[in-house]
Formats: sequence, structure tokens, C-alpha cells
Amino acid sequence: MTFGVALAILGAALAALMAGIGSAKGVGLVGEAAAGVVSVDPSKFSKMLILQLLPGTQGLYGLLTAVLLLSRIGVIGGNMAAITSAQGFAFLAAALPIGIVGLFSGIAQGKTAAAGVGIVAKKPEESGKGVIMAAMVETYAILALLVSILAIYNIKF
Amino acid sequence: MIERLQRRGVVELQNIEDENLMKLNTAASISQFEKARSTAVSALTVLNRYCPKKSALKDLTFSRRAVEKHEFGKTAEKIDQYMNTAYRINALERKIGESLTDISKCKVRMDSLKPWMALDIPQNFGGTRSTACFIGTVRGFYTADTLNADFHDRAVFEVIHAEKDRTELAVFCHRTAADEVLKNLRENYDFTAVSDPTSVTPDEETKALAEKAAALNRQMEDCRKELQSFCGSRENLEFAADYFAMRKEKYEAIKKLGVTNKTFILTGFIPAKYADKLLKELESRFTVAVRIYDPDDDEDVPVLLQNSRFSEPVEGITEMYALPNKHDIDPTGVMAFFYYLFFGMMLSDAGYGLLMIIGTTVALHKFQFEYKMRRTLKMFQYCGISTVFWGALFGSWFGDIIPVVANNFFGANMSASDLSLWFNPIDDPMRLLLFSFILGIAHLFLGLGTNFYILWRDGKRMDAVCDVIPIMLTVLGAAPLAGNILSPVPQWATTVGEYMAVVGVIAIVLTAGRSSKNIFMRFFGGIYGLYNTATGYLSDILSYSRLLALGLATGQIASVINLIGTMPQNPVAKAILLIVVFLVGHTANLAINLLGAYVHTDRLQFVELFSKFYEGGGRAFEPLGVHTDYIKFKEEN
Repeated sequence: MTFGVALAILGAALAALMAGIGSAKGVGLVGEAAAGVVSVDPSKFSKMLILQLLPGTQGLYGLLTAVLLLSRIGVIGGNMAAITSAQGFAFLAAALPIGIVGLFSGIAQGKTAAAGVGIVAKKPEESGKGVIMAAMVETYAILALLVSILAIYNIKF
Repeated sequence: MIERLQRRGVVELQNIEDENLMKLNTAASISQFEKARSTAVSALTVLNRYCPKKSALKDLTFSRRAVEKHEFGKTAEKIDQYMNTAYRINALERKIGESLTDISKCKVRMDSLKPWMALDIPQNFGGTRSTACFIGTVRGFYTADTLNADFHDRAVFEVIHAEKDRTELAVFCHRTAADEVLKNLRENYDFTAVSDPTSVTPDEETKALAEKAAALNRQMEDCRKELQSFCGSRENLEFAADYFAMRKEKYEAIKKLGVTNKTFILTGFIPAKYADKLLKELESRFTVAVRIYDPDDDEDVPVLLQNSRFSEPVEGITEMYALPNKHDIDPTGVMAFFYYLFFGMMLSDAGYGLLMIIGTTVALHKFQFEYKMRRTLKMFQYCGISTVFWGALFGSWFGDIIPVVANNFFGANMSASDLSLWFNPIDDPMRLLLFSFILGIAHLFLGLGTNFYILWRDGKRMDAVCDVIPIMLTVLGAAPLAGNILSPVPQWATTVGEYMAVVGVIAIVLTAGRSSKNIFMRFFGGIYGLYNTATGYLSDILSYSRLLALGLATGQIASVINLIGTMPQNPVAKAILLIVVFLVGHTANLAINLLGAYVHTDRLQFVELFSKFYEGGGRAFEPLGVHTDYIKFKEEN
């Protein structure tokens, strides 16, 4: 294995790791807020579940980026490519947007969705608005995912 | 007549305020009905606890029970009987609650008696003629011997119970020494007498308490049994709750009427499409004078959406944002096509789309849903069709399950791209990104075009031209220049684009500041407008990249699921693992991406499209009707 491959795997690990932490924190935040409401009114469970799921997508984007990167360099499903250190650094850099943005946007989205729990508790008929507000945050994770994927697919070796 | 209007549910009554007319005071009846209704509802909550509803598949539809009108009349005669049941249920529930409190009181008393069990005289024993007796607790651990020694045999101590920091004891002494002993005990040993002494021994009292608790328990059990015997009356209670809800609504309507000695007058809003039918019905049955006219401009008109069968399913999305106000046009029809299109593109897996179509179709045929639920299911059905369309174009059927199975079990050599009717996004993401931006521009222009139409219709033709055309020119002109970065664009397109963009930019600078009189302010207003347009539309268009990103995410995660399923070498193990992983993995992926596609399609409509022309803030049409929780009338006559 070359040093380049190790760097690329580090990139994949960072993408899954940081975005995963962001989502875990975000989902946890919403869950804490939602459990209080569900304890009073169990019928709101399904609406709460939707809110809680929202900050979970960053983790998926991180996983997606990691798997795409690993399959691109042949660590899964093929022969490992012999890539140079420079190319390895390129892959590492390509994985950073979704890793870092995923970490922070997951937490921020979790906070927004946790605030949306209040909307569902007090005005259940307006709960769609809480969902939309939380989804605003996700835009930036999507943009970061896009940059990561485009970079991974366009690194030549 | 009010009852008939209530059953038709098409008229929203207005409160008549005219000093020449009298009002009927129905407040007392209304509060009486509300009381009866809440009695029935609380009885229902009690029943739900004691005989949980069997959750049949039918309950999943959340639909109300249909009742014939003549049946309703017959059942309504028994309403007093139903209410008696409700009162009885509530009384039983109260009794159970009281018993529980009493039982816990008994338990507390029994606990406090526990240390005293060894005492074989009553706690209120005060002594004999010449002997005084104090029964109580001191702080700290003592034995009888030490205490006897401490008091130099002026008193005799009997320790009933002792633990680390307290000792229960009985003290005997001669009456002449009583004061001195008691003083000593209080001051040096922190003695407190038993707080609520009784005249029986602790042992006897405990036995009596245990019997009392058992009796209470039996009584509670009886109440529970009686409650369970009422399980069958759930439907009757539901009927009672709804019956009073309807009566209440009727009397609230009557409160709005204006009356004279012999006549009454009511005014209200009715959707134009029902007006003629209701007019005929009222005139044929009652002695009435009905006048139907269009509302004045300054009236607070309620809003009811009406759309074609194609766009009606997304009305729920409009309602979630805000209802149109008087000057708006209903955005439902504007967004419907793009709603289905974007949803399909973000989910973009034909297998998932098929599941959506099958699920919604079966549900719609098998169950009687309420209107709003039916509308939502219909929306997901249409979105499913669009999802199959995009999935087939991209060649994604449960990710790449077809090539995976063919390659692993049948020795074929297929690639995921072989199935795609158009192209596989992962082979050429740039192409799909560009296509997403083009769709986005079309979507934005739809919003701009609608704004143009509204301004033109309202006679603000100057605004229509100045606010819309320069932006369109700029965006259209800049598009090929920016697209050139992503993939090559023909020379003529960039040249034309350059000229259009320049004209557009100049037009914006010249017109955006037209509201101010000062020439400098106009110029700076123009520059500011240009800055706003450039940043606003750039971020709007980039926002459509989610069409690509979410589509890729669905397909790629689906493929990862399939990949995990094929990891073992042994074909049998591989087949078993693949089936398990396929079922679990794709269920989860579908759920998450369904939510994602729904939320982000909504966002593209609300933020990118609606912001171009839509204000909202209308008031929903709330007709006098039958607003019940459990029963509804069957459609008849």
C-alpha cells in the first residue's frame, strides 16, 4: 500500500467520522426535546420522529462520500490503485467539505429541529413549518456533499 | 334551517351586528353542551385506559364512523342513557382515585407503626395512678441499660426499637418525678412523644389497617370490573361526544343570527359553485328570501382552494405554507408540475417509485380515508409515478440490484449503467448538475412569469416589465457563461449570452432604483438592486444542485446496501445475506429518502418559487358544519 492510499482512506474516515458525529449530536438533541413532548402526548410520536430524522442525513452523506471514495480508489470492490502521495492528499482534501460542514450543520440542524419540537407541541397543525426551517440548514450540507463528490470523481490518476 | 346548513357544510356564517336587530343569547346552552361533551370525552379517556382499543388495520385510516341520518335521530333519543353511562364511568374513576389515596394513607400509617410493633400497650397510655408513662422517640442509639444508668434508676426504660440515629422507647417513672424526667429527656435526649397516638396497641392497629386496605382494594377491583363491563359502550360515548359537539356548533351559529319578533336574518360566505344548489334547496323547503352576491372589495373574504385533478393533491403543500390572500393567485396550480418532477428526481429510484405507487393505490382502494388523507396519498401516488420515470431514465431499480444479482448468481457481466434509458448520474455527474440548474432556471422563471402576470393584471404594467424582464435577460445571458465552466458550451451561445447579460445588467441598474426621485439615490438603488439580483439568483440556482445530490445519495446508498449483501464468497450465504440486507436496508433507505425528497421539494417551492410572486396570509374558509371526532354522516339526499 502506498502512502497516497493511506491518505485517501484517512479522507474517507474523516468524512464518515465527522459527519457522523454531527448527525449523532443533532439527532440526540432533537430526541431529548421530543421525548418530553411525547411523554405528555404520545400521539405526536410520528411527527417528532420526522423532526428527529432531519439532522440524520449528514451522517448518511458522510457515509456516501466515504464509500464512493473507497470504491474510487479500489479499496472496496476492486484492486487497490497505486496512487501517489499528491493524489492521496487530493482525496483527503476532497473528503473535507462534507466532513467539516457535516459536523457543524448536523449540530446546527439538530438545534433548529429541537426548537421546531416546540411548534409541534403547541401548534401541531403548523408542524410543517418547523420541518422546513430545519431543512434550510441542510442546504449547506448538500452543497458540501456536492463539492466532495464532484472532486472525488474528477481526481485523475 | 340552521341544522340543514350545518349538514351541508358550505356556508361560513358572519356575526351580525346591527342595533336594530336582537340577538339570541345561547351562551348558557353552549357551555352546557360543552360540559356534556367534555364529560363524554373524559369517560372515553377512562375507557381507553381500562379496555384498550384493539388496533385493527381499519383504525390506521383514522377515519370516522359513517352514520345514516335516520339512524342518528334514533340514537339521539337515547342520549340521556348514554350520558348516564358517562357520569357513572367518571364517578367510578373518581372512586378508584379516592381508594388509591386512602390505601396509600393506610400504608404510610402502617410504615410509621412498624418500629412500635413490639409495644404491647396502646401508644396513648399515660400511666397509672402513681406511675407516669412517656412513649416516644429520642435521637441516637441507646440501650435500656445505659439509659437506666443515666437516670440513676429514677425512671425505668424499655427500648421498643433502636437503630443508628433513633430509639423508640417507653419510659416509666413515679408521678412525682415525672416532670423532672420529662424535662431531662427533652433537653438532653431530644425526646419527642408519639405524634398521633391511638388507643389500641400498634399490633392491633396494623391489623385493622391491613383489613381496611384490603377492603379498599376489593372495592377498587369491583369498580374496575364495572368499568370493564362498559367497554361495549365506547361507540355510544363517542356518539354522545359528537352529538354535543354538533349541538354546540349549532348554537354558536344561532348566536350569530340577527332576529326580530317573527323573523331572523343570517349572512355568510358560500363558494360560488354551491350557491345555486343551496339557493334552490332553501327556497323549496323554507319560507325564505335568499340573495346571493359577490363580496365587496373591502370584505374579509375566507379562502377555499379549488384546483384541477392534477394539482389538487398538492393543495396540502400550499396550505402548509399559507393560504393565498385576496391579491394572490393560488400557487398550487403553478407549482404542481414541478412538485412532482422534483420529487421524482430527488428520490429517483424506479423500485422505490413502484413501491409508492402500489402502496398508495392499495391504500386508496381498500380504505375509506378522510378527504385530506386521501389527497396526501394521491400526491404521493403522482410523485411515485414521477419517481419511476426518473429511476428508469437513470437505470436505478433498488439501486443496482438487477446487475448485482445477474453478476453474482448468473455469471453475467452487467454494469449499472446498462439499464439506464438516459444515463447513469454517477458516470457523468456534471451533466446532471447542469441539467438540474437548467430545470432550476425554468422553475425560477415560472415564478417570475407568474409575478409578471399578477403585476400586469393589476395594471402595474411598468412594474411588470421593469421587475421581471431585466432579471430574465441577466440570468439567461449569464447562464451559458457560467455553464461554460462546467462543460463546453457552443461559441454562439456564450456570445449571445454576453450581450444579453450586459443589456440585462444595464437595465437593472437603470430601473431598480426607480422608486426614488433623487438621481443619485436612483443610481445607488440600481447598483444595490443589481447586487441583490446577482447574489439572490446565484444562490437560488445553486440551491437546485440538491436535485443531483439527493438523487445521487438515494441511488448510491441503495448500491452500498446491495454491495454489503454480496460480501460473502459462498453463494448460499451470499443469497441469504442479500435477502436480509435488501429488505432491511432498502426499507430504511426508502424511509429516509422519502422524507428527504418531500422536505427538499417543499423547500424548493417555498423558498425559491413562492418568494418570486406569492404573499399568502389568507383566512381559511371555515363553514358551519359537522365538526366531529368519531362519527360522520353518510352522503345522502
